[in-house]
Amino acid sequence: MRDAAPSRAPKVSLRGGTPPARSPWRGGGWLAAGIGLLLLFPLSSPDAFFLDVFTTGFLLAAFAASWDVVGGVSGQITLGHALPFGAAAYSCALLTSFAGWPLPLAVAAAVLLAAVVGAGIGALSAPLAGPFVALLTLALGEIAHEVAVGHTFFSGPGGYAWGGEGGIPVALPWRDASPFSSYYAALVFLCLATFGMLLFARSNSGLILRAVAGSPITAQASGVPIARFKRLAFTVGSAFAGAAGAGFVLHVGRATATDLSLELSFQAATFAAVGGRGTIVGPAVAAIVLHVLFQGLSLPPSARVLLYALTLLVTLRFFPRGVAT
Amino acid sequence: MTKTSGSLFRHHPFLIGSVALFLYLFSSALLPAPCLAASLPDALKIGVLAPLSGPYAAGGTSFVQAATLAVEQVNSDGGVFGQPVTIVVGDTQGRVDVAKSEALRLVSREKVSALVGAYLSEETMGVMEVAAAQRIVLVVPVASTAEITDKVRREYTRYRYVFRVGYSIPQWAEMIAEFLSDRKIHRYAFVGAGIRWNLELGETLERIVAPRGITQVYTAYYSPGNPAFDTVAVAAATCSPDIVILADPGRNSVSFLKRLREAAPALPVLSIGGALGDARLAASIPLSAPIYVQAAAWRGVSLAATAYVERYEHRYGAPPVGYSDTLPYDAVTVLVAAWRKAGSAATEAVVPVLEHGTFAGAAGAYRFDAAHQALWGTGPGALHGTFVRWERGGARIVFPSR
Amino acid sequence: MASPLPQVLLDGLFAGGTYALMAAGMALILGVVKVINLSHGAFFTLGAYVAYALAGRGVGTPLAAAPLAAVIGFAFGVFLGKSFVNPVRSHPFALPVGTLACALLFEQAAQMVWGPHPLSVAAGAPWIGPGGLVIRRWGVIAFLSSAALLGGLKWVLSSRPGLPLRLIAEDEEIAGSLGMDVEAIRYLTFGGACAMAAAAGALLSPSGAVTPTMGRAPLLLSLVVVIVAGMDSVAAIFLLSIGLGIFGNACAWFLSPQWSYVALLATVCLLLSARPAGIVALAGRRD
Repeated sequence: MRDAAPSRAPKVSLRGGTPPARSPWRGGGWLAAGIGLLLLFPLSSPDAFFLDVFTTGFLLAAFAASWDVVGGVSGQITLGHALPFGAAAYSCALLTSFAGWPLPLAVAAAVLLAAVVGAGIGALSAPLAGPFVALLTLALGEIAHEVAVGHTFFSGPGGYAWGGEGGIPVALPWRDASPFSSYYAALVFLCLATFGMLLFARSNSGLILRAVAGSPITAQASGVPIARFKRLAFTVGSAFAGAAGAGFVLHVGRATATDLSLELSFQAATFAAVGGRGTIVGPAVAAIVLHVLFQGLSLPPSARVLLYALTLLVTLRFFPRGVAT
Repeated sequence: MTKTSGSLFRHHPFLIGSVALFLYLFSSALLPAPCLAASLPDALKIGVLAPLSGPYAAGGTSFVQAATLAVEQVNSDGGVFGQPVTIVVGDTQGRVDVAKSEALRLVSREKVSALVGAYLSEETMGVMEVAAAQRIVLVVPVASTAEITDKVRREYTRYRYVFRVGYSIPQWAEMIAEFLSDRKIHRYAFVGAGIRWNLELGETLERIVAPRGITQVYTAYYSPGNPAFDTVAVAAATCSPDIVILADPGRNSVSFLKRLREAAPALPVLSIGGALGDARLAASIPLSAPIYVQAAAWRGVSLAATAYVERYEHRYGAPPVGYSDTLPYDAVTVLVAAWRKAGSAATEAVVPVLEHGTFAGAAGAYRFDAAHQALWGTGPGALHGTFVRWERGGARIVFPSR
Repeated sequence: MASPLPQVLLDGLFAGGTYALMAAGMALILGVVKVINLSHGAFFTLGAYVAYALAGRGVGTPLAAAPLAAVIGFAFGVFLGKSFVNPVRSHPFALPVGTLACALLFEQAAQMVWGPHPLSVAAGAPWIGPGGLVIRRWGVIAFLSSAALLGGLKWVLSSRPGLPLRLIAEDEEIAGSLGMDVEAIRYLTFGGACAMAAAAGALLSPSGAVTPTMGRAPLLLSLVVVIVAGMDSVAAIFLLSIGLGIFGNACAWFLSPQWSYVALLATVCLLLSARPAGIVALAGRRD
């Protein structure tokens, strides 16, 4: 029994994994094959429901990958990643429905706001270490969620409130988007976003962030301004989360408090844990597979939840670092 | 180098497995489509949307139970057009994206003839868009936001498929105001979960009761995340109201009522939104002061209501709470009555029938106004709802006193 | 009653007792097994359902249900510790996610066994103290049992039988080389902490409603307490919990009940960002 104890002393630390030493395009063949299959999939004339499940899956995948920029690559375990996602969703809704902004402008502003929110979270959490980052981001996310649930805005003509648990609608220039165009838009967005995040993760900044995640003290001793790089990671990760949030709200048509919920933040962390932290592609693939499996097969609700939890447990038991690592 | 290629090889099975899974999904999506298109449905289907997992599962489960009961009743009466009616259930999980997606599944894959749901306001708003896009009748049982009927009024051609069986916030406030007048109450406290429909209901009620000389002496909402029950209970008692109105459909209403009974044992309480209509819960609360519950219908208000409550109790072992079960039951009943009257389940035939007809449900006769809102309230011909009071042996109807 | 403020603060004290009761077990797990256990709330729920089931069979008092709940919680905890936590614990990120999945699994199982509807155990009348002060029976029990539990924990850790726990918390390699069965001590500790949560759930079951997701609410604030205070200082856990309880109620009273949770969370954020060095220094000993 004693022999089973792992030799390297595992101290509790929620810092990042080891930087994977491998060529940047390894596994690119599988990825290309996967994208090819997804591009061809709508030609098999699936029903609108199945396309909708995939569309949501792509947006969640982009969100999970953006979590990985912060939580995986730079090792800052954030449990409030729904905050930039929801902030972008809410600002899209508010700017189009209240202020009457044109949609592209609102989306741009929403992504910018998410980046600013991320920079703020980064600035607040930069001096903190390990689990305190998780705690701070958790608390910030909960605050935003509470405000979204409890605060209402009064809209003029209808005489009823917007906000609260009912959320805020987005004024979209189109109506009843074709499921095919939503599918392809989300897929293209996912590919572009993942490519952008991979570029960032493999850039110089990304390498420095991996070093910060590995050992902050070593990084600091080598003259890396740690706080600045942590802020950068939060800003970039949150901007992509905001883009995913904006995409999500365009797809769903409504920003609601669940966009800011702890459950959503945990969901991103879960996808990253299953897919492999620090790989960007791993969390995205895990998000698509898990989402499509558990939403798309229309399992009975109790079986769905039980199977989902069991899948997580079994996967983490045998691949504790994620299947892609 | 060898290590990397080794680990790649080691995980081949997973990659192959996931590709196989995707292929399976494709084929499962491919195969049923032609079969469904070729065969006509041999039963009329009603799609029911409610949260069956997560924190709202309690309301959602009784929602589906009552809808099932209503369909069983229809089938035991011979079905519709000689065909049996079946229900297909979608779990909304309390999320608007899932609600929309499940609504799409029920319409595009299960080919339901109409939808009933959903439970929360935001879910219902999402489902409403699907119903409008797919031109399919949607009957809304419990979601009370004015946004639903406002959309029907403003964009009638798009949203005319949507009908609400449950009460709107002003109608709800009107029924409560009538009850307060009847009980000769002058000062009330309004407390509840800090969510939108409560805030709206509190404000509307205060406005409606003002001309009747009834004042709101205290109002507070607790956060659903970490509710400050103690403080609200103590502060409400300090203002010495004649009654405390507790607006919370969830488990927190039980916790709050226990604290209130400890802080002020002699303060009467009116619970709205359902949870305390459950006899087992009410039995665990001390009856040192009256506990009133507002419900859409109750055993004894009419023959239909009594029959419904008895069937429900017989089938599920406990009587319904009178809100999140009774309204879905009536939603299905009204829908099927409209099908029978129209002689068809086709949307375009059913909508005008629902607009102009009168339909009997457990709570009474339903008629819809121009915004497709069922007529509840205190006016002539409107559905009245009911208020009951818990006593040792069970609940007694106290209002309307008929 | 002269002024309701003493009542509000007393209730805050009791609320703090509930946080401490949860935090004690989580701190023990974090200290010895070095794992953040997000399934702790599920064990709390399990205890509450045990008390409900016994109440339905004529066992009126939750005091009698607590030992049974503790035994069941211990059994499940040892199983979870042995089959999942121990093998995976060298991967600190997989564990919070895995234990969260356990909590989901349990919530769904509870919903299937007992139904999703809220259940309730009769609470009994409160005691009336001097000046009309209402002393909530279950509040007193939460406060006293959390004090007893944390006191007992402090005693165990500072006494001879607690030495292995402290040694493992300090340096498990040395503990292993001294011939201790580190693995067994870990899963037994995990089971013990889960038993504590289940007993707490049974004890407090009458104070609110019993539902499958009831364990989610106290988890978050207990997590705050555990991470900020750490296992090293049992007194800090207790004081911080009580402080949060009283502060939360004071915020609700003076500001607004709807925003008291936000005020509480904002204070945690402020504390974290204003004194990162102080809190990190406190936690540094654990790391």
